[in-house]
Amino acid sequence: MSRSSFGWLRAGAAALGLFAAMPAAMAQPTAANPQTVTMWSHWPDEASKRNYVEARVRAFEAANPQCRIRLSFIQKADIYTSARAAVRTGQAPDIFWLEPDEIAFARNGFLEPLDRYVDLNGLEDWARTSWSHNGRVYGLPLEAYTVELYYNRDRVRALGVEVPASGQLNQAQFTDLVRRGVAAGITPLAQGVADRPFPGAYFLEEVLLRRLGPDDYRKLLTGHLPFRDPRVMAAMTWVRELVDIGAYPRSMATLKLGESHYYFHTNPGALMFPIASWYTGRAFVPPESGGQPPGFPLGLMQYPVMDNSDCPECKTLAVGGSYVMYSRSRNKECAGALLNSFVNIESGNQWMESVLLQTGIRTDPSRISGINAPYFRELQQRSEGARFFIGTPLQYMTGRCADTFQQVLNRALPGGQISPQDAAAQMDAACAAAPQ
Amino acid sequence: MPAQAETARIAVPATPRRWWPASRQGGRDPGAPSWLTLMVFLAPALVLYAGLTAYPVVRTFADSLYDLENMDAPRFIGLAHFLQIWSDETFLRAIRNTLVWSFIAPFLDVATGLLLALCLYAGVPFARFLRIAWFTPVLLSYVVVSILWLWIYNYDWGALNLALRAMGLDGWARAWLGESNTALAALMVTHAWKWAGFNMVVCLAALHALPSEVLEAAELDHCGWVAKLRHIIIPLMRPTLLNLYILAFIGKMKVFDLVWIMTQGGPMWSTETVSTYVYKRAFAWNTFDLGYPSAIAVVWFVIVLAAAALLHLAFRQREKLEY
Repeated sequence: MSRSSFGWLRAGAAALGLFAAMPAAMAQPTAANPQTVTMWSHWPDEASKRNYVEARVRAFEAANPQCRIRLSFIQKADIYTSARAAVRTGQAPDIFWLEPDEIAFARNGFLEPLDRYVDLNGLEDWARTSWSHNGRVYGLPLEAYTVELYYNRDRVRALGVEVPASGQLNQAQFTDLVRRGVAAGITPLAQGVADRPFPGAYFLEEVLLRRLGPDDYRKLLTGHLPFRDPRVMAAMTWVRELVDIGAYPRSMATLKLGESHYYFHTNPGALMFPIASWYTGRAFVPPESGGQPPGFPLGLMQYPVMDNSDCPECKTLAVGGSYVMYSRSRNKECAGALLNSFVNIESGNQWMESVLLQTGIRTDPSRISGINAPYFRELQQRSEGARFFIGTPLQYMTGRCADTFQQVLNRALPGGQISPQDAAAQMDAACAAAPQ
Repeated sequence: MPAQAETARIAVPATPRRWWPASRQGGRDPGAPSWLTLMVFLAPALVLYAGLTAYPVVRTFADSLYDLENMDAPRFIGLAHFLQIWSDETFLRAIRNTLVWSFIAPFLDVATGLLLALCLYAGVPFARFLRIAWFTPVLLSYVVVSILWLWIYNYDWGALNLALRAMGLDGWARAWLGESNTALAALMVTHAWKWAGFNMVVCLAALHALPSEVLEAAELDHCGWVAKLRHIIIPLMRPTLLNLYILAFIGKMKVFDLVWIMTQGGPMWSTETVSTYVYKRAFAWNTFDLGYPSAIAVVWFVIVLAAAALLHLAFRQREKLEY
């Protein structure tokens, strides 16, 4: 072989080496060669959350010129369907929106653990736990909520019922309030389940949690306590009694979540609205965008406690909308840095101030101000001294059990379509855990 | 000259034109396309068909034999899913709902279409306008139709309940989609409304194609409208009506969009169809296991195929008996 052919070889090897090194060089984003992170978020129709996320993303881009964010707001159901298909084919966005009940994404290796990218000390312990799998944290728990019972102060007062300062009514007082509402031609509880698998069960869940206490309630949700337990049956029978009185709208089955907000505060108007504290996302916007009317007499009461309740101070606290990182993302540096930019007290406070909702990011509520600060104080007041149960039923249930929950406890029982006995039998058949 | 040319034309034996390419060895037909040419033209369609139809079908059949809960380690389980299916109460309920819908609703569809076509055929006033108006729902997407009928069925302010209340029938007003015993029927009516226009157009074409001498003879015999309809029009239109029935049947065996938007299978699975159940199992059960939904899809594919073949056979045999 001639000397010149060795020269060609060397040049070829050098070119190959350069070519091989290119991806590594390109992987390090620079201002001249920025990484573009694709991000799918829910909340297209919740202006305050959308504005918050857009503001955070813009601030991040300004501080990190080497990263570009392509942010899209998509309805939750569409994100779930698209993401479920996209993660298998490597086409999922770098960051997308999920709730903790979708931990199956992490179990199947589709999510990147955030431990390396996010300051986990900046997250509340309970929020971290909600996204933990095999000791790793997979989600940034931006949204958190408590399950609340909102009410129209004026309408309740007009019925001759005075809600005490503690916001607490007992079983008989609450039944009486429902009866008075029906007699006055006002729907007592606004609720819509057409596009969500859970709100119809909020009332029952909260009553059950207080009646059973957190330990037995957890057992119930995980199939280790039967729904035919006398305490559970008593709660379900009471709920059915309220349903028979006319507690829920007859149009509940076709009423969507967004519409149920409007039903409560505007037309036709209801006495109460069992909903998570993310009520504000849809209600605290201008009326022309579907928000509650100016000066709406919004109040917060505690869920009623049944007689002999084991834990009257119990309350559900859950992580809601969170951001996760795709395990096959090619832009992990920028994606991780973006997620971490959410994790600081200023960012958490900004979320609470603008969205008026809790968060899994550590915050300092004493620093919150603004025109909605009184509402936020009342929200906090309702949780003072509360013993929190972390997670909603659908974060504990999967498969057939979750489907039965959706059909039976979310729709059929509050819709008056099923007796408590049948409901309990169906839930037990679907959810009973295998004997250990 | 013309006679000679005619003779020459008759003398040349007419060989049937081959659709397949000439073989290399045998007498090569210079006019026949080569394999290469054929493939160039066929390849795009074949690739699309293989990629978008054949592969998904084969993959579905294959997936039905695996437990795919863990994507990285598919576990071959043979026919276990197929055995499990028959003890799955929701699946059995979905089958029952779909079969009820598929067998009963087409009668409603075809009858409505025929009725509308007869109205137009009889020359009702504003026939031209009505033909367009009745056909319009066919052009609407299921999403639009669903939303429209969600409003109509709304308990508080829906047109149906408002009409009932206006007639003093307050007790009949109900949450049509919220009650187990009315939800499926409400969906059937919606579906029939959407497709009535299509059936109407086909029936109208068939009505215009009826032999006029038969109808005129009937009129000469002083045959009334009802008798003419029963003894002449419907028997003569029978092949058209049966084809419409089979088309509607197959369409309803696959129904998904309408149910998903209007009830999502509820309340209490009373409107669950096989398609919505497969979708739920594949995408809404917080699991990535596509094995079980694939098994349902395979079973349903076989059932639809068998039912369509049976209907076709049954109708063909009856036709043979009659004619």
